[in-house]
Amino acid sequence: MPASPSAQPIASQRGQNPRRWTLVALLLFWSLAPMLWQLYTSLRTPDALLGGLAAIGRGWTLANYGQILSSDPPFWRYLLNSTLVGVGTTLLTLLLAIPCAYALQRRGGLQRQLVDGALLVAAAFPSVLLFLALLQLARQFGLANNLLALCLPYAGLSLPLAVLLLEAAFAELPRELEESALLEGFGLWQRLRWILVPLLGPAVASTAVLVFLFSWNEFPIALTWLSRSELLTLAPAMARIAGSSVFSVPYGAFAAATVLGSVPLLLLLLVFQRPIVAGLTQGAIKG
Amino acid sequence: MTVSSTISSTTTSAATALQLEGISRRIGARTILEDLDLTVSPGECLALLGPSGCGKSSTLRLISGLDSPDRGRILLGERDITALPPARRQVAMVFQSYALYPHLSVARNLSLGMEIRGVDAATIARDLDAVLELLQLGELRQRRPADLSGGQRQRVALARALLRRPQVFLLDEPMSNLDAQLREELRPQLRAILCGGGAPVVYVTHDQQEAMGIADRIAVLDAGRLQQCGTARELYHRPATLFVAQFIGRPQINVLQEPDGSLLAVRPEHLHAVREGGLQVRVVSREWQGASQQLQLDTARGPLRWVCDGGRSIGDAVRIAWEPQHEHRFAAGGRRLTA
Repeated sequence: MPASPSAQPIASQRGQNPRRWTLVALLLFWSLAPMLWQLYTSLRTPDALLGGLAAIGRGWTLANYGQILSSDPPFWRYLLNSTLVGVGTTLLTLLLAIPCAYALQRRGGLQRQLVDGALLVAAAFPSVLLFLALLQLARQFGLANNLLALCLPYAGLSLPLAVLLLEAAFAELPRELEESALLEGFGLWQRLRWILVPLLGPAVASTAVLVFLFSWNEFPIALTWLSRSELLTLAPAMARIAGSSVFSVPYGAFAAATVLGSVPLLLLLLVFQRPIVAGLTQGAIKG
Repeated sequence: MTVSSTISSTTTSAATALQLEGISRRIGARTILEDLDLTVSPGECLALLGPSGCGKSSTLRLISGLDSPDRGRILLGERDITALPPARRQVAMVFQSYALYPHLSVARNLSLGMEIRGVDAATIARDLDAVLELLQLGELRQRRPADLSGGQRQRVALARALLRRPQVFLLDEPMSNLDAQLREELRPQLRAILCGGGAPVVYVTHDQQEAMGIADRIAVLDAGRLQQCGTARELYHRPATLFVAQFIGRPQINVLQEPDGSLLAVRPEHLHAVREGGLQVRVVSREWQGASQQLQLDTARGPLRWVCDGGRSIGDAVRIAWEPQHEHRFAAGGRRLTA
């Protein structure tokens, strides 16, 4: 995509300011250093890790990766499980949140304010406090050790925020677009399918990424709902790797797992970066 | 092939009149429209004219079905469509913003609606080509709305309305986003395209020039009430209320208070200088406009506007008068006194 012409002067303005560059470098270091340290750790033998400064330059290895990928079950299995749960959760959440946000936004009035307030409270509620109650439900309905069942609480917990985000996005769409479609003979679902959801693309994409991230990182519910080791998602699997030996912490293997566990997320963000940033509604109304 | 024959092949709507009977609409305690009666014949273009907030856009929304009236009936031919959902009314509306689908190309903007309505692919292709040619949009068919100029967007919106094969055309200030020169160029085109078919056309505008240029008849609205409905000539020569007299004609009509409390109105272009008699005036300021000049006058009966072609200058003292047939008399409430 070609850079907009106005980007040029702003960029050069920034370049003239060394203090700003220092600040940017510091911020980058602040957020990237832990990840780079994990990458470094994952490539070192245990001896080299404990050897202090003298060991730098020796002891590079891929054995940590070999170890977690050849363990039983192999590490990619956890990635697959997490991806499955993440995709399921995201789809379920969007399927429910899009019509819900649309209906609320079009409703207006006191009813909507009440529902929005309730959603806000639900979105702010610390979900950790729910895991015991959810465990009880899992027992009662036989939902334990079932990856797709795990999507249910995840989607439920993601729903309030997703609805609020999408509602704000619906509110920004010019109303005439939908009215025009209505007069052209579009039904409700046709308007959503052909006009509204495509125009909400960026908002839907960013909401989807947020939901996926939540599901990818969730720990307490996954820990309590899943016990069979071949069904574990990433977070409980990591905990298991960290606690696999009584006598030592397997730093190298743990770091390798961290690196492998974050690669899919980085890919996801790279893929969705464009639709999130792109302003699709540009020129909808008089430009 | 002439414009109107191409159009009659794209719009096959049966010739039916549109009729509004006693339409009222309120939002809360606010009256949007009060007891509105209007009839638009097949092929006729009626302009709804009035200041912003007078209820003209609301009238369009009621005809299209986007809003529903609290009282009254909307008839299309013999059929009562008051309760019909908008999708089934077969009306086409050109919005002020044009409301083109920003994520779709021009061609897709035009064809999607037909697809949804179940028109077969061959007909879609044929009609699309015809309408693109008619509105000179052929080269733009793959562009997105964001890459079009204001005039091009308007033509796309018009094309979409034509493809709806509507029973009624509704246009909500379709020119207000265009610059003045383009507006004047487009007026005759728009008129030829819209009024050639058999469907009634309702055209909302706040610009009297536009209304006079495009419409067969003009309905003047103020505060939700119909003031007068008639041809531009009727509105100009025999305004039914003081509001219409003041709204139609530029510069605004002069209004003089009469001793009995009624109002006397004379248009600035109907004043002329006299040697004796008439009214003693003094020129306060002037605007030179080429073919004519517009003067502000100070008189014993209050300020007056005068349009004349003579070389008057500021400070001149003149006597002016007007022919009795150019007088309009209104009661204190604004209603015309037939004189």
